Amino acid sequence: MFFHIVLERNMQLHPRHFGRDLRDKLVSKLMKDVEGTCSGRHGFIVAITGIESVGKGLIRDGTGFVTFPVKYQCVVFRPFKGEILEAVVSMVNKMGFFAEAGPVQIFVSNHLIPDDMEFQSGDVPNYTTSDGSVKIQKDSEVRLKIIGTRVDATEIFCIGTIKDDFLGVISDPGATS
Amino acid sequence: MSVEPLNRLVKLAARAFYDDITTKGDNLPKTGRSDNRGIAVVVLDALTRRQWVREEDLAKDLKLHTKQLRRTLRFFEEEKLITRDHRKETAKGAKIYNAAVAATADGHHTGKEGDEKIKLHTHSYCCLDYAQIYDVVRYRLHRMKKMLKDELDNKNTVQEYICPNCGKRYNALDAPQLVSMEDEYFHCEVCNGELVAESEKLTAQEMGDGDENARRRRRDKLEDMLKKQEAQLKPLTDQLNRVKDLPVPEFGNLQAWEARANAAARAANGDLNGNDPSKSSLGLGFGGTPMPFVGETKVEVAFSGIEEKGENIKSESANAPMKVLPPWMIKQGMNLTKEQRGEAKEEAKMDGSSAPSGSVDEKKSATESVDVKSIQDEYVKAYYAAILQRQREQEAANKEQELPSSSISNGAYNTSPQRQLGMKSKRDDQDEGDDVEWEEAAPAGNAIGNFKVNDLNVQADASGDDEDDDGIDWEEG
Repeated sequence: MFFHIVLERNMQLHPRHFGRDLRDKLVSKLMKDVEGTCSGRHGFIVAITGIESVGKGLIRDGTGFVTFPVKYQCVVFRPFKGEILEAVVSMVNKMGFFAEAGPVQIFVSNHLIPDDMEFQSGDVPNYTTSDGSVKIQKDSEVRLKIIGTRVDATEIFCIGTIKDDFLGVISDPGATS
Repeated sequence: MSVEPLNRLVKLAARAFYDDITTKGDNLPKTGRSDNRGIAVVVLDALTRRQWVREEDLAKDLKLHTKQLRRTLRFFEEEKLITRDHRKETAKGAKIYNAAVAATADGHHTGKEGDEKIKLHTHSYCCLDYAQIYDVVRYRLHRMKKMLKDELDNKNTVQEYICPNCGKRYNALDAPQLVSMEDEYFHCEVCNGELVAESEKLTAQEMGDGDENARRRRRDKLEDMLKKQEAQLKPLTDQLNRVKDLPVPEFGNLQAWEARANAAARAANGDLNGNDPSKSSLGLGFGGTPMPFVGETKVEVAFSGIEEKGENIKSESANAPMKVLPPWMIKQGMNLTKEQRGEAKEEAKMDGSSAPSGSVDEKKSATESVDVKSIQDEYVKAYYAAILQRQREQEAANKEQELPSSSISNGAYNTSPQRQLGMKSKRDDQDEGDDVEWEEAAPAGNAIGNFKVNDLNVQADASGDDEDDDGIDWEEG
């Protein structure tokens, strides 16, 4: 699920950036530092949408670095148990398959794949129904439901299922190409 | 009464879930002697018969070692079945508790010896927490069912993997660390062995590896288990449903309970003090209706003394529950109430029947119209009246023969055989209707009826000596 929230961060800025475009430098550094990171508490920080305020800088003794407390608005993405996501399959193996929904990696074990889909090893490992109409392989898009999350301080990992109504392959890239 | 279904619930739960619980630590070798399975059930059963109880007393009652009991209790505390309270207390504090126990534990015996040696020790008390037990049992059942159901349709279960070499276990959330570059299997982080899916958590014994037959067999087995579970826990779920809408008895914490119990006891005692001498006159005051009502109140709490004031409101149809009880009532509360009522009834009859005898004939005509009574009671009344009349005559005759200065007990002993004789002789020439009535009345309270005859004599002596208002004399004396 996506959220638009305000976060705060202390930015350290090198003295060489002190000048006319100090503020721009600060923001670009913030974006470089923060976007794409993951905190267990808020989830993945997808994008910074604006700066709320920049506090007074504090010069560090000895180094000359200045610390600015910066409040910024950002979009975060945090997966929840029970959430339905659309994801792209990144790897298929005997134990199940891995899929990615943006920054989140999701593992679907073979027990949570419908019983009528069998693993086919070979050049392109895939899960296929007995009549071959549905095939899950690398780069397939699947809709899945998250049934478990592991949230570490800097990482979120999910397990999902496609063994439910309206879950499974959305479109097969092999069919279009 | 209201606690009884809950007690039943506790007992059922104890037998269902805590039957084979041992409270021994794992480090201790299990010998035959130290095998204490079933203790948990015993302790829980014992607790259903008590409210707050000091653990030492409980241990003494159960003839268990204190340590062993405490271990069991701690286990139950963790299971959220009981609440415990620990406090440092002097002998005085113990007395407060003992008073409270004396107030509540009328039917059951709690060992109260040995409180003299208490100086300032930490004492632990424990009590069943009925509200929580209800929730705990429900939650437990829910989890059991959910686990089986999830397993059955493979839904929302986190797949587990196990390393056959080193036995290390992983679950699906570890998947990204486990996947290896060279092949498509998961590899153990420790020994790099190939992990196998631990597919059947509950039916692990048949290691059918995903093929269709095994899967079906597993399904059948799970369904079977689910069915069995439902069947075997049916009594428990039934009881849960029955208890659902009942108010849960709330004992409060230890202090509150003690205060309440003591207050109740004091009220009862105060009343009893005023009651004892007046008991004989009570019947007179209330129009000569025998009140076997005391037993009824005693069932629940020792509030009987208080309630006795409103005695005359209830008619003597308090007999009724003895005769006709709905089956559900019998199941739940009968054991306790019956014996209690039995003993209470006896004494109630004692003073109930002895007192009114003097005035039955006078007051009865007035009261008859007021309260509607069963026909049997009518018979009994009529019988009393007849007997009394005869007694009077007999008494008059006796008085001439022997001095009335003999003590009551003597009089009772002396007169009863004479009475029998007199009655027999009298009955011969008296009306036959009385005899018939006696025959009919007898089945209602056989033992009691006999009892009354003897008892009447005692009273008859007294009432014969001084006149009808003797009750007032009693009260003053």
